[in-house]
Amino acid sequence: MLEFIIQNNIVCHAVEAMLFASVACAILGVIITQIQISSIGFTMAHAAFAGAAFGMFLSLNATLCAIAGGVLVAFLIGPLSDKARVSPDTALGLLFGISMAIAIFFIAYMQTLGRGFSAMGLLFGDVVSLYREEVYLLAVICIVAILFVAVLYKEICGIIFNKKIAESVGIRVRPIYYAMLFVIALTVALCLPIIGGLLLYVWLVTPAAIALQFCYRLSSMFIMAPVVAAAISVSGALAGLEYALPVAPLTAVLFSLVFVVAVALSPKRRVTFRKS
Amino acid sequence: MTAADPVIEIEDAYTAYEGADRPTLQGITLSIRRGEFVVVGGPNGAGKTTLLETINGMLPITHGRVCVCGYNVKGDGVPVRCRVGYLLQNFSFDPLTPFTVGEVVMMGRYGKIGLFRKPGPEDREAVFRSLTLLGISDLVDRPIGQLSGGQQQKVLLAQNLARNPEILLLDEPFSNLDIFSREAINRLLSRLAGEGVTVVLVSHAFDDLPDRPVRVVVMMDGRIVLDRESAPGSVAAVIRGASGIHA
Repeated sequence: MLEFIIQNNIVCHAVEAMLFASVACAILGVIITQIQISSIGFTMAHAAFAGAAFGMFLSLNATLCAIAGGVLVAFLIGPLSDKARVSPDTALGLLFGISMAIAIFFIAYMQTLGRGFSAMGLLFGDVVSLYREEVYLLAVICIVAILFVAVLYKEICGIIFNKKIAESVGIRVRPIYYAMLFVIALTVALCLPIIGGLLLYVWLVTPAAIALQFCYRLSSMFIMAPVVAAAISVSGALAGLEYALPVAPLTAVLFSLVFVVAVALSPKRRVTFRKS
Repeated sequence: MTAADPVIEIEDAYTAYEGADRPTLQGITLSIRRGEFVVVGGPNGAGKTTLLETINGMLPITHGRVCVCGYNVKGDGVPVRCRVGYLLQNFSFDPLTPFTVGEVVMMGRYGKIGLFRKPGPEDREAVFRSLTLLGISDLVDRPIGQLSGGQQQKVLLAQNLARNPEILLLDEPFSNLDIFSREAINRLLSRLAGEGVTVVLVSHAFDDLPDRPVRVVVMMDGRIVLDRESAPGSVAAVIRGASGIHA
């Protein structure tokens, strides 16, 4: 898609993948941080990681297994907290623990079988060995995330503002909330191979946290977060490939630096009133 | 539907929270007509808020029947909530919440607007009207998180008025308001009831009730123990008497 700007195929695929993944994660990250379900995103990322590790162990399609892992967790959180009579926070803790245990078990077992390298790619991401089809898939999930927010914008606003108030004004909260979790799970699973299970959280949370430092309206957050995420991710990919540095960790560090600068420059923390 | 027809009909309703060892509402039977002004009183934990959330279908009933505006709330909760305003008792908003007052009030119309549709001129007009009714149109572009508790309460009331409700369920609407705002909102509620809006009010503050006879429903332990008309000045005494609380 960007071959007319970047001639090198590997660099081109890496930049495209980072662009699409960062935009999708940043858009959904605004929802995740504003509903304050960051721990759901975190648990989903690790469940997708466990699913992918399980798939690799059984020589199945790792992406499909990652999607299955993420979606499974999305739909287990509610029933688990209801049936086991534990808080959603505890349910997430349980699911996170199980996900990590499954992932580590299969990674360790594959290492003993001499197949450890491919699983390690899931931990820290790998933008170099991407197929064109994977980039197309990321482009599709990016469009799905944008359309999801554009089409259900007012319902999402209501749910973000207050779920109970949203329900009381006649919004069908439950199906929209579950659709939201499904799209997040899908995005997390598809972004896993390029960003890695350990770093995905940075892409989900940091762009929205940066945008929140400057935006007073949700609509501006939905614009600023993906723009910032895309700029940082593309810069990280180009710099990492140019200087032979690991792309995803480098980009994650860049995100954190930009966040620190954003906090320092945020007008929301400035007191402008001066007694004359 | 005429003014004599009930807009809320509850027959032998039971509601229980998951895991509770006994129902929160027990055998409630209540019929409320269009334009009635009903004050629900009783001690803490009597089931007043549960009654409001049973009326708008947010809490499912385990037994009995609840019909609101001609809909059975068990299967038609969403159309009921599009017609019923509900002001929550407890709310708090993060100072960084990225919503302005105008956006929050517009949310009151989202259920009516429906899925996949955007607010139109009629919706913007309704928002402006309700902000003006509550005297907060100057706050329209302010972030809601930066307002005082009383201002936030008015914004939430405006949100409910913006959808032109047939019924208003108000849970402690005066808790954060100053005396002038209480008087103004009571006049507004009285006027709305006169125009045919049914008002069901849960409150512990009865000093500023509208100057008209009101229906008093007293609840204890999930049951209705008294249901009668009363002059506004005697509401507190009636509730105290029925609850067995003496000053």
